[in-house]
Amino acid sequence: MTAPPRLSATEWADAFTRASNEDPEIQAHGKYFTCSYLLDMDEHRFVVVVQSGRVVQVAVDPGPLDVPYQFAIRAGTETWRGFGVPVPAPMFHGIWAASFQRDMRLEGDLLVLMQNLRCVTRQIELLRTVGVPV
Amino acid sequence: MSRISPVTGHYVRVEVDGLEYKVFYLENGSGQPLVCQHTAGCHNHQWRGLLEDEEITANYRVIAYDLPRHGKSDPPENTEWWKEEYKLTADHYANFIVALCDALELENPIFMGSSFGGNVALQLAYRRPDRFAAVIPVEGADYSPGFYLDWWQHPHANAAQVCASGVWDLMAPQSPEADRWKTWFYYSQGSEAFKGDLYFYSVDHDLRGKLGDIDGDRCPVVMLTGDYDYLTTPADSRRTAEQIKNGTFIEMKGIGHFPMSENHQVFRQYLLQALQVIKEKTAMA
Repeated sequence: MTAPPRLSATEWADAFTRASNEDPEIQAHGKYFTCSYLLDMDEHRFVVVVQSGRVVQVAVDPGPLDVPYQFAIRAGTETWRGFGVPVPAPMFHGIWAASFQRDMRLEGDLLVLMQNLRCVTRQIELLRTVGVPV
Repeated sequence: MSRISPVTGHYVRVEVDGLEYKVFYLENGSGQPLVCQHTAGCHNHQWRGLLEDEEITANYRVIAYDLPRHGKSDPPENTEWWKEEYKLTADHYANFIVALCDALELENPIFMGSSFGGNVALQLAYRRPDRFAAVIPVEGADYSPGFYLDWWQHPHANAAQVCASGVWDLMAPQSPEADRWKTWFYYSQGSEAFKGDLYFYSVDHDLRGKLGDIDGDRCPVVMLTGDYDYLTTPADSRRTAEQIKNGTFIEMKGIGHFPMSENHQVFRQYLLQALQVIKEKTAMA
């Protein structure tokens, strides 16, 4: 399996939205999956807004006060690149692994992350097929 | 070929530290007992592959029990346990396993456990080298802080899903999806015990500075850890094994923190190596 092509930030936002909204697991279990979170990839930042299991907005590189979010997942580009391949190497294979062993940081209202952990975990795994734009 | 598995289930009464338990275990095979402890917040189905592994059960009596408060082993029969917070201690955990082996009248058992079972395997080698022929700590280390978290039982989140998806990353992406989802499913069943188990795993278990007292000749210690384990990494286990007299460490590639449950086919190759090492060490003794 080869790594997915690197998309521009805008193309990635569209591809991620499509992948999530067409994902059988998220659509089967996302009835109450409603939250907003920041993906901070250093070179680019995205605010993902989900309502009832559907991604309704991905804000690309929003200004400091443009789009509110409830929690943030931050890491450097090298870590995110490790997520964006079909079979990630050890410690690039999830937000818990990368938070314990790499530079990933989980910030903000972590209760909201925990309340939506199942579907957020799946969304992050979609990076293995969608890739990352950094 | 029979549709009925050779694996059988039984209950056994165990009394330890003033507590009375009715303990459920699955077993198959004959030969030297191989006593298997599941991971924290889980149950004995994690050993489903091993229990039906014909090569291993031809030579070993595989016994996989549910620790009290897990699977089909109820909390204590003789206390109002619901009025106390569950916090598993190293003393009680080790005492329980010895009492279980006594109740089953096991001679010369090998003890194997994963994660908090790996850590208690080290405790058994440290405390009772006279009672066990050898131990196989899987995903174990002298000390493993960081997982005694309130999130496992937070009433404002879905504890079943937090526990199950919270341990998802402990498995390797290469492990078969169906086996990873079975493991996820087991974890959705154990949230009330998970946090109390982790009191042992991340707080009460601390063998730093004591590993030199483990006599690896009397009770051989063979440690196995997967390279996708972010919680107890191969480096943690290697550091631990190096401080145990004649301790052995084998790194497992392409597998994570629940090796027997997420990918038995990969795990069994390393387990066979570990059993061979034990056989050789025991023959020399």
